[in-house]
Amino acid sequence: MGLQEQYRSEAAGLLSSGAVKLVIGYSAGSTPDRRRPVFVRTPEEAERLVLDGACVANLSTYLVTEGLLSDGKSVALFLKPDGVRSVNILAAEAQVNPEQVVIFGFEIENGQVKPLEGRKASDFTPVIEAAKTAGLSPELQKESERLDQMSASERFEFWKEQFAKCIKCYACRQVCPMCYCRRCIVDVNQPQWVNTSSHTLGNFEWNIVRAFHLAGRCVACGGCDRSCPVNIPLRLINHRMAKEVLDAFDYYAGESTDQKPVLATFRQDDPETFIL
Amino acid sequence: MTRILLKNRLDDCIVAWRSAGFSVLAPVKRSDLSRFDEVESSAEMALDLVLTERTIKDHFFPQTEPLIKYRIKKHEIDSQEMLPPDGKRVFFGVRPCDASGLAIDDPLFGWDYKDEYWFKRRDNAVIVTIACTASDDFCMCTSVKLAPDSAKGSDVLLRPLQGGNGWQVEALSDRGNALLEPISSILQDSTDAPAPTVSVPVRFDVDKVMEWLADPASFESHFWKEISLRCIGCGSCTFLCPTCHCFDIQDEGDTYTGIRRKNWDSCSFAMFTMHTSGHNPRNTQSTRWRQRIMHKFNYYRGKFGVNSCSGCGRCTRQCPVDMGITETLQAITNLPK
Amino acid sequence: MIYNPFPMRVVSKREEAPGVRTLKLEFVRQEDHEFFKNHYKTGMFGLYGIFGEGESTFCVASPETRTDYIECTFRQSGRVTTTLANADAGDIVTFRGPYGNRFPIEEFEGKNLLFIAGGIALPPTRSVIWSCLDQREKYGNVTIVYGARTVADLVYKHELEEWKQRDDVNLVLTVDPGGETPDWQDHVGFVPSVLEKVAPSPENTIAVLCGPPIMIKFTLNALGKLGFSESNVYTTLENRMKCGVGKCGRCNVGSVYICKEGPVFTAAEVSAMPQADL
Repeated sequence: MGLQEQYRSEAAGLLSSGAVKLVIGYSAGSTPDRRRPVFVRTPEEAERLVLDGACVANLSTYLVTEGLLSDGKSVALFLKPDGVRSVNILAAEAQVNPEQVVIFGFEIENGQVKPLEGRKASDFTPVIEAAKTAGLSPELQKESERLDQMSASERFEFWKEQFAKCIKCYACRQVCPMCYCRRCIVDVNQPQWVNTSSHTLGNFEWNIVRAFHLAGRCVACGGCDRSCPVNIPLRLINHRMAKEVLDAFDYYAGESTDQKPVLATFRQDDPETFIL
Repeated sequence: MTRILLKNRLDDCIVAWRSAGFSVLAPVKRSDLSRFDEVESSAEMALDLVLTERTIKDHFFPQTEPLIKYRIKKHEIDSQEMLPPDGKRVFFGVRPCDASGLAIDDPLFGWDYKDEYWFKRRDNAVIVTIACTASDDFCMCTSVKLAPDSAKGSDVLLRPLQGGNGWQVEALSDRGNALLEPISSILQDSTDAPAPTVSVPVRFDVDKVMEWLADPASFESHFWKEISLRCIGCGSCTFLCPTCHCFDIQDEGDTYTGIRRKNWDSCSFAMFTMHTSGHNPRNTQSTRWRQRIMHKFNYYRGKFGVNSCSGCGRCTRQCPVDMGITETLQAITNLPK
Repeated sequence: MIYNPFPMRVVSKREEAPGVRTLKLEFVRQEDHEFFKNHYKTGMFGLYGIFGEGESTFCVASPETRTDYIECTFRQSGRVTTTLANADAGDIVTFRGPYGNRFPIEEFEGKNLLFIAGGIALPPTRSVIWSCLDQREKYGNVTIVYGARTVADLVYKHELEEWKQRDDVNLVLTVDPGGETPDWQDHVGFVPSVLEKVAPSPENTIAVLCGPPIMIKFTLNALGKLGFSESNVYTTLENRMKCGVGKCGRCNVGSVYICKEGPVFTAAEVSAMPQADL
């Protein structure tokens, strides 16, 4: 039995027994190569669940849907290690109770899915540790180095050209599990901290503010990059922020449900004498 | 006998139009994104794309548009309109869906109060459309009763020739005729046949959709919640749509001067209808999705006689969670009687 | 043209109730004043604003019989209203309008008028009240039922006095239970129940009803019980607005755009709208 069938049958079982009220997974999309999020609530519907190498989206973003977990019941979802890290961060930031989350873990290697053992977020710690040691993606590393080797003004021109395309659709924000603020800073108008217009300044402000709000929290799932309708390489920014945090603080976001947020915690042995 | 334009004469056209005072905009791929931008030669054009990722709407209703420049003092204010620049433009290589989007939005921007920002740009532009000989899985023009060679919104219609070496040229309006004047010596008479337009399968029954939407009972249906579960509430579909026109008005500046701007806004955003009191008539994603569909296929039609959809399919093509209008309308089409 | 507001000079401001202010505005430019005089009818609204802050929508609280100035009454709640609340006499604010439809008061001629308002919804009602009182001979009996949460929350207090003194107006005031002061002489109770107590006759009567949604709902019930038909009850709706001219796509309730086809509706028209979109 393939992994897809195994997880389908387990999902149906969890729904029948009432162990979970909902299974969030993938189903076939509008074209053969697309997969879309699906919300399965009955054992019969579990047949719609699909699991293959095209299932790359980080579904943990649906965990912070308002009211989803407020009835205390559990939800099962299909997650890769990056998604499990998201759950850890959401738990550490008190947005999600990890006890309510049942995880069907999987990895994609060479376009094929492989199972990951475990059903609770804490079961995946060894996999996450291994990913941390393995380092950040080699393809991203190469692209990132190309940017690093530019001069500051060349890099600024690069981003100016990329951000000029931004239309403030906020797909990057909406798809990101870490962007769960009920009222995003761009929606605050007393005062209007961040311009809402899509001119150069407005676009820089938005993208840089979001990058900074994600520093130390982003799990590099690539959701923002894939969802950007104007093809801004957001992965490069977030990758760089993750690398900075790793280098400066030896911090890899999402290792456990009680990992303290790196930029919101002060330790007595921090090199700076003040929290800034 | 029809007139044709050969591809190898396109550069001469560009020169002729530019001499006549037009700037020429065409599909290009720049910075990893396809859209309409100014070109000086045909080599810059990307005419083989099924359609550009961004629409020509951007050039008539920009994502941010200065409306008024203001200066304030305690007992006096000075405000000046910042109308769009003069400057004639040719949009060459527009797809019929994008062109129809302009025609669909005209009645709204002219509804009693004339939006001069839109119309100044419209009046200065000539739309040269190229009929489609290719489509992809997301195109749905035929589902909304348009076609790969629809003339709606176009001033000149080009049909690609069988041989692939040019286009059959047909002026559709006075503006189109006027545009062909400077290039009349470049055009040739020919009996070359145009290639057949692509056959775009009909993906949903728009009549059935409109009938279902018009039924008051449908408004409260559980259908809306079910169909929009995975919508994440971004503005991708609305911003890339050739007909979506919702906007916000924002003042930007310092204590004494600034610019009042018109910025794109989306009915899918959570705060779109939020009152200052905290009451939000559409405070769930499903009510917002319902608004989107009802507006496009019921309200807009009721007011202006046309659905607010050109069938380009960008909403589904670009949706981060593979949603978009097509699936909803297919689901309505398939609802049991 | 359509987005450029009129500059208006603040003539005076008055604190009506905690957090609620009235501004009296005069036109800076003659041509703007002419435009307003030629277009304004009671019921229409405007977008009041300040460059640098934005615009906010409220009714024109002054009647169509007095167009030398504009009065607006609003509660300080967000960015624009806070700045407007702090405006002083002589300051310049902006007005865009008048927009929307109107109360068809010529159709009310010869009829009895019943005005019902709650709290901060007196301003739009007051515009109609004065438009009619300024032409008193055209109308039958005039009854005004007005209630607020507490005595302090009653707006236009000095005009309430004026209406009380008039013998051609029947003014019924009420405050919510617990909102009365020791010297309060008028009714205590929610508007719908006071209305039932007063029991105005629906015979040849037009009702104008403005208030918060919950009050409207229960008052419509009360009016129904008294025999009023929904097509003889007029009300106003409001929604968040930005352009005010039907283009920005946000103020609709179902297919009805409040800025173009409202804000004045009969209760029958409101009942026909999808209630879930209100």
